[in-house]
Amino acid sequence: MAELRENEQKTMLALERLKGKGPVDQIVKVSALAHAAVMRAALSLTAKKLVKTRERKQTVIALNKEGKYHARKGLPERRLISSLIKLGGEASLDDVVEEAELERKFLTIALGWLNRKGWATIKKSVVKMLKEPPTGTDEKLLSLLDEKGPLIVEDLSRELQRAVSVLKKRKLVEISEKTLRELELTDAGWDVVKRGIEIVEEVSQLTPELIRTGRWRRVKLRRFDVTAPGPVVYPRKVHPAQQIIQRVREIFLEMGFTEIRGPIVETAFWNFDALFQPQDHPAREMMDTFYLAHPTKGKLPRRDIVNAVAKTHENGWITGSRGWEYTWSLDEAKRLILRTHTTAVTIRYLAEHKEPPVKVFSVDRVYRNEKVDYKRLAEFHQIEGIVMDKKVTLRDLMGTLKEFYLKLGLKKVQFWPSYFPYTEPSMQSTVYVPELKTWVELCGMGIFRPEVLAPFGIKYPVLAWGGGLERLIMLKLGVEDIRHLYKNDLGWIRRTPICQ
Amino acid sequence: MPVITLDRDRFSSFVGRSLSVEEMAKWLPWLGVDIEETEPDCVKIEFNPNRVDFSSYGGVARAFRGLMGWETGLPKYEVKEGKIVLKVDPAVSEVRPYVVGAVVRNIKLDNDSVRELMEMQEDLHWGVGRDRKKASIGVHNLDVVEPPFAYTTSAPNDVRFVPLDKTEEMTLQEILERHEKGIAYKHHVDWASRYPLITDKMGRVLSFPPIINGELTRVSSQTRNLFIDVTGTELNAITRSLNVLVTALADMGGTIEAVRVKYTDRVLISPDLTPQRMELRVDYANDLLGLKLSETKAIQALQKSRLDARRIGKGVLEVLIPAYRIDIMHEIDLVEEVAIGYGYFKLKPTKPATVTTGRQHRAGEVANYVRQIMVGLGFVEALNFVLANDVDHYQKMRRRAGKMIRLANPVSTEYSIVRQDLLPNLMKNLADNKHQAYPQRVFEVSDVIEISEKAETRAERRLHVAGVSSHPTANFTEMKSYLEALLTNLGLKDWPIKETRHPSFLQGRAAAIYVKGRKIGVVGEIHPEVLNNFELENPTSAFEIDLQRILKTTY
Repeated sequence: MAELRENEQKTMLALERLKGKGPVDQIVKVSALAHAAVMRAALSLTAKKLVKTRERKQTVIALNKEGKYHARKGLPERRLISSLIKLGGEASLDDVVEEAELERKFLTIALGWLNRKGWATIKKSVVKMLKEPPTGTDEKLLSLLDEKGPLIVEDLSRELQRAVSVLKKRKLVEISEKTLRELELTDAGWDVVKRGIEIVEEVSQLTPELIRTGRWRRVKLRRFDVTAPGPVVYPRKVHPAQQIIQRVREIFLEMGFTEIRGPIVETAFWNFDALFQPQDHPAREMMDTFYLAHPTKGKLPRRDIVNAVAKTHENGWITGSRGWEYTWSLDEAKRLILRTHTTAVTIRYLAEHKEPPVKVFSVDRVYRNEKVDYKRLAEFHQIEGIVMDKKVTLRDLMGTLKEFYLKLGLKKVQFWPSYFPYTEPSMQSTVYVPELKTWVELCGMGIFRPEVLAPFGIKYPVLAWGGGLERLIMLKLGVEDIRHLYKNDLGWIRRTPICQ
Repeated sequence: MPVITLDRDRFSSFVGRSLSVEEMAKWLPWLGVDIEETEPDCVKIEFNPNRVDFSSYGGVARAFRGLMGWETGLPKYEVKEGKIVLKVDPAVSEVRPYVVGAVVRNIKLDNDSVRELMEMQEDLHWGVGRDRKKASIGVHNLDVVEPPFAYTTSAPNDVRFVPLDKTEEMTLQEILERHEKGIAYKHHVDWASRYPLITDKMGRVLSFPPIINGELTRVSSQTRNLFIDVTGTELNAITRSLNVLVTALADMGGTIEAVRVKYTDRVLISPDLTPQRMELRVDYANDLLGLKLSETKAIQALQKSRLDARRIGKGVLEVLIPAYRIDIMHEIDLVEEVAIGYGYFKLKPTKPATVTTGRQHRAGEVANYVRQIMVGLGFVEALNFVLANDVDHYQKMRRRAGKMIRLANPVSTEYSIVRQDLLPNLMKNLADNKHQAYPQRVFEVSDVIEISEKAETRAERRLHVAGVSSHPTANFTEMKSYLEALLTNLGLKDWPIKETRHPSFLQGRAAAIYVKGRKIGVVGEIHPEVLNNFELENPTSAFEIDLQRILKTTY
């Protein structure tokens, strides 16, 4: 036999006092429990077969506003007949109405019922009483309802039940249906009651007072329904895209790379010229790159470096390259732009750190003059990794990428030949994304061209890879519209799991 | 990037073997092209701008045969001697100084090849010609005109001819003003007093370079003999464009014949398809690729890339590069040719021996401390763009716009400046989240950019943190407590607070924070007018500080 909770015990005891049977309302009164508490106890006691629940449909009758008015003032025909009696049993209609102070809107009704009830006749505006008017059942029910409030039709005398329909037709009452629940102890229930129930105080919230005084030993801590749903709460958190940025940074750090950071407003020199991108290259056009209206020009580095870069563009300088065969412009190189890639930071760093080994990375903002839509942004994050050492190879670059992807949970990688203006040989990588069951293009990579390295006196191969990060973020977060990543929709941030 | 759609049957005939779409899609990427789309009977590929020779079926087919080992080494192209003269008027040096030409005879064209020819020209105009500035091509029906030809100039209104796709004669001036191509490309010539023109013996106009050809020499599937002109501002660019074009036409079955281009001081025989020569050290290739190829294997790999090579010394090869490979400018480019001929698919990844320990940048480290504290204080992180606009940034914040970093070519009014602080973005975030439950506490730790005259790039990137708290009882005291909790946990000991005036904050409820005598930021209750501007209904308090000032990070 399962233990009974406090509310169940109280309900059983109330039933005992009601001789084993009673409607819920009565049990509420007897037990002093809340209605909901009795209902819950009724459910669990029924489940334990200690109590049977019976449901009965009831018709409830209650006065409406007009009904209440007439209950107080008397029905309109009663008001007329009473006045007529006062005026001697025969009088003009106007006099009767005036005496009764009857509202105009009730006049027709009053006259109709005087006639129907056979209390008086009206001829040529003269009212004449026919008989002593007895108190009708309709009037009895009306005053009973006024006195006692809503009544259950089934409990009324047969006589009064007939009056219900009269009042209903006169639209003086509201009739509604109600389910009456009645509880009754089963034989097993009687057994429990007969064995005796001792009420132990039951506590739902443990309090400091209970703990301090030791009273917790004497009370019963209510058992909770641990499966019941509770209110939903959300943690405050780091932005979901930032969490992936952090993860990528961690991967680089785990792989022994040092983080570098550089200007966002950059000169065309470091963004393009230093990377051997000719000044008439389509990528440098206004259609692809954000130029600044203010300020417009930056400063260039040491003259010897600028000259070496210029010569390399024009004729290859000492690199053995034929160069781009045009006249290089200093002014063009000074133009300020929003950097289009983090490689601008990389070449700045390499120019200052020529001693191998160098392993650096950045995960940072870059800009393209793009019309923003569901798959393109004008501002996004680029990841970039660089290895410079005496003996590093294209295959090493592939191996590094493979490890990088593996740490991101991307196990299958393919490498293809590709082209970038500042790397040779160049590669493109595609990774298999199991969630999408498809191959997705991620990072491009290659070895920096001699024309990039020579002007800065860099003597060893530089392996480089990079790519936009948002695509990866979208894959990881299941976001289909890239713009959503920067909408800062608090609902989305709250719902997006931290652990991906 | 340029695209070419390869019809399976037509491509098969160029390759000389029957190929399936699957075989094409499987092997083409190993040439360095992207498969854009595969359809039941064709493959659409995207090629890199350095390989304009892939703009024709013939060009892709040559490389494909090499990759598969079906035909290797240098493709041979013969240039027959010719008598046709193209005379260059010295006046062209003022506007568009260079021209070369070629004749292609006995070619059998159909609608497909005419279309291909047109697309190839567009790819060359884009890839080599820099949108027709450096080089532009005219292909003509040779049989309707009479050599010798002249590359000359004319005053804008002296000559009239019917331009391509038109029925009426127009002057050069009218073409620039009214013809679609004239409007699109007039900036290449409209600054000159005389415009370039190519005419025949009778003075009939073949072309108004780089704008439009004449209707007279229109090429159709009936055309058998072609005259080609390439004009431009750089001789190398036009000879290379011509080489790519004539080799593709030879692959279509034409016979190349030279044109004598007579400048006042010299005669150029064009096209010149002599292979370029370049040395390759086999060790250089092996060291970069991580391979140990013998000289013989390296030569075989180069031959598969449709180059030729011979040993000229220990470990040194002389490589012959076909005239259409205009992308090869340095020994390093030959290294990639070795890799492609060897097969990228055979390259196995290795791990580099380089051992280093990693370290995060101080700015990244500090930003992470800030994140930890702010999230602990109950704030959600926002991530906004550095790109901003002056309406949100200044107007709605009740600030007068001062000097700011402005874009010369903004893509939309939403992103026209670079932000100098974070708060306006956070206000925008609150405005966008009005339907979400309150209280809302949001922060951002990220970059802003300030103008700095002494800086190399006239701008300085700085790390800021800002926070907002918005709910019915938000106030100054609440936010000041949060800010002080942040500063304490960032290890600061002393930060005098002084009342300040700030247009975005309520007067008497705004304060400046100082560290070591320098102002590092501001905290206060947002001005109700600012709240109205962002259509916010809840009181909002906010702070923003410059982390750079207190944490000594460089960049």
